Amino acid sequence: MELISNFAIQGAQMMLVLLLAPLFTGYVRKVKARLVRRQGPPLLQPYRDLVRLARKEVVLADSASWLFRTIPYLVFAAIWVAASLVPTFRTGLMFSWSADLIAIIALLGSARFLLALAGMDVGTSFGGIGSSREVMIASLAEPAMIMIVFTLALIAGSTQLSTMAAFMASSAVGLRVSLGLGLIALTMVAIAENGRIPIDNPATHLELTMVHEAMVLEYSGRHLALIELSSSLKLLLYVSLIACLFAPWGIDSAGAAIPTLAIGVAAYIGKLAVGGFLLALFETSIAKMRVFRVPEFLGAALMLGLLATLLRFVSGSF
Amino acid sequence: MTKVAVYGYIRIVFDLAGGPAWWWSIVVLALAGATTVMGVLYALMQHDLKRLLAYHTVENIGIIFIGLGLALAFKAHGMLFAAALAFTAALLHVFNHSLFKSLLFFGAGAVLTATGERDMEHLGGLIHRMPKTAFLVLIGCAAISALPPLNGFVSEWLTFQAILLSPQLPSWGLKLLIPAVGALLALAAALAAACFVKAYGVTFLGRPRTPAAEAATETDSYSLAAMLILAALCLLVGILPGIFIDALAPVSSALIGAHMPAQIGAQWLSIVPIAASRSSYDGLLVFLFIAISGMLAAFAIHRLASDRLRRAPAWDCGYPDASPTTQYSATSFAQPIRRVFGTVVFRAREQVEMPPPGDTRPARLKVELHDLIWEAIYAPLVVGINFTADRLNRFQFLTIRQFLTLVFCTLIVLLLVLAIWN
Repeated sequence: MELISNFAIQGAQMMLVLLLAPLFTGYVRKVKARLVRRQGPPLLQPYRDLVRLARKEVVLADSASWLFRTIPYLVFAAIWVAASLVPTFRTGLMFSWSADLIAIIALLGSARFLLALAGMDVGTSFGGIGSSREVMIASLAEPAMIMIVFTLALIAGSTQLSTMAAFMASSAVGLRVSLGLGLIALTMVAIAENGRIPIDNPATHLELTMVHEAMVLEYSGRHLALIELSSSLKLLLYVSLIACLFAPWGIDSAGAAIPTLAIGVAAYIGKLAVGGFLLALFETSIAKMRVFRVPEFLGAALMLGLLATLLRFVSGSF
Repeated sequence: MTKVAVYGYIRIVFDLAGGPAWWWSIVVLALAGATTVMGVLYALMQHDLKRLLAYHTVENIGIIFIGLGLALAFKAHGMLFAAALAFTAALLHVFNHSLFKSLLFFGAGAVLTATGERDMEHLGGLIHRMPKTAFLVLIGCAAISALPPLNGFVSEWLTFQAILLSPQLPSWGLKLLIPAVGALLALAAALAAACFVKAYGVTFLGRPRTPAAEAATETDSYSLAAMLILAALCLLVGILPGIFIDALAPVSSALIGAHMPAQIGAQWLSIVPIAASRSSYDGLLVFLFIAISGMLAAFAIHRLASDRLRRAPAWDCGYPDASPTTQYSATSFAQPIRRVFGTVVFRAREQVEMPPPGDTRPARLKVELHDLIWEAIYAPLVVGINFTADRLNRFQFLTIRQFLTLVFCTLIVLLLVLAIWN
């Protein structure tokens, strides 16, 4: 019985992130539009886009290989698995121990590796420019992320996300300098990894500074639907990650009682609403950077992460 | 061949030298961290396939020595279980590196026999002509970039876990150095992924850049079988690392005096370096999850969505019929990274020569790179050796009397040295 309920909760988490991801993207777009006094697309527009894309035929470039057609499925699978392993409304899920935070980051790295290859596959200059910039950004964002993981792992004494979230929710944490630095660095990395303003503009298609959109320029139809869904999932994953580490309130720790689960889900949706609003507010209040300003931005994140880790190494009280 | 040095080092430092002093590990860790990042940056600047792989070995040896340096530090401070963890991580990386690097060198050899080219700038689109080689090399590239669920990730993950144990070390030098080494390791892992996106993308993907690449044919089945075995081993170590970690336990207990907890009994074949609440990783489950959710997605898409497909010229933002030379090349792919890291590490300089409007000459881009390690350490050494050799060359043309005098004088000097020494 317990096995079945655990399984059901793990399954519910997988479906929840999958179903919420487009809604969250739509919500951020709506808030951004409202902030500049536009009407904005309806909240459900991303779902409609996905359905429309899935119904269309795929127009495949002549020079595309089998790899190009397989990659959307692999990228989607890797990101979906990663997103299902981040605690959203309940910690200690059935399979939460199968990958710790370092492995989750590396899974996202696998997805990015494949997507960068897809950008190179058709053999156009736009695909190459996107891939090359994406890996440059990743080469700075990943070490910054690992430093943040180190900081948090040293505070919580574990790299297991469920244990970390449970520790953060307990009163043993307190206010720490390294946590503050970690939060700032994690936010910067999350913005860079998801290609949001000021790193990249998710709303443009024909701009020479674009990164992610240039990489997936040749995709169409169902393949593009999967890629879009994966990037929504990735955004949701990072917001969930920040929420479960830095705002773990209301998250259900054990048991499968319906009321606590309901509180967990409600708290999660509330956190997403706040997180999405803050993201939209940040994006509307800042201008996009030139591509070669990005290393400075991410270098700052890396230094903050390194500083936080150093503080933890030097003394347990920071 | 490079592993002989690792073997010799382990033999001397862990076995023969007995209990090493803790500050040795500072030297090892600092050198290893720098080597790791330098190796991968050098590899990124190459466009000769085999040379790129060779420079990449430098990076991997760096990763191995980070593990060994940590093991040394832990051992010197009596933290035997942490030392065993770092030591096992290093040994597992030795094994993993031998798998994926051999696979990649076989792949580079297959490309060389098929096209006669090692220069990536003359290749491209080989995935259409050599699909099997391309698939197997892709596994090697993913493994060396430390991507789960393959084997490279497991040993780097273990190294990270060892780094996370190091705040308990008492010495301040190590406390300040190890986080920096961890950052360098993470940087190298991310750059390695960039490097292999470049190597694979330029060689196998895109469109052929030369007639030689266009005329390539699949390599013979024996070479394919060799690569297949190595690729299968890469996956096997990635999804069942516990077996291989347990196999390394006797080495670790012989040299460190402790070994990692037996992994084979852990639930669902996961690996648990210290305790289950602290960290665990299950390559098998991650692999199965990815496979299942990928297949679910494929099934759902093909059931519910349109499965029509039309071939057409590449879209490329509406620029029609571009020639294969407009593709991103190895040099252009590395340009952002060269610009970010290269100005310091290689003193890289780019000169663009743009002809005035109306002039039909092509624009030229010149990239200047300096190998600072070569210029600062090896080149002066070579000059010094050559200089001394030239001076000593005169001894070759002495008469027999002069030779005898020389031998006599040497004998006297050596005897004197011996006398003073005693």
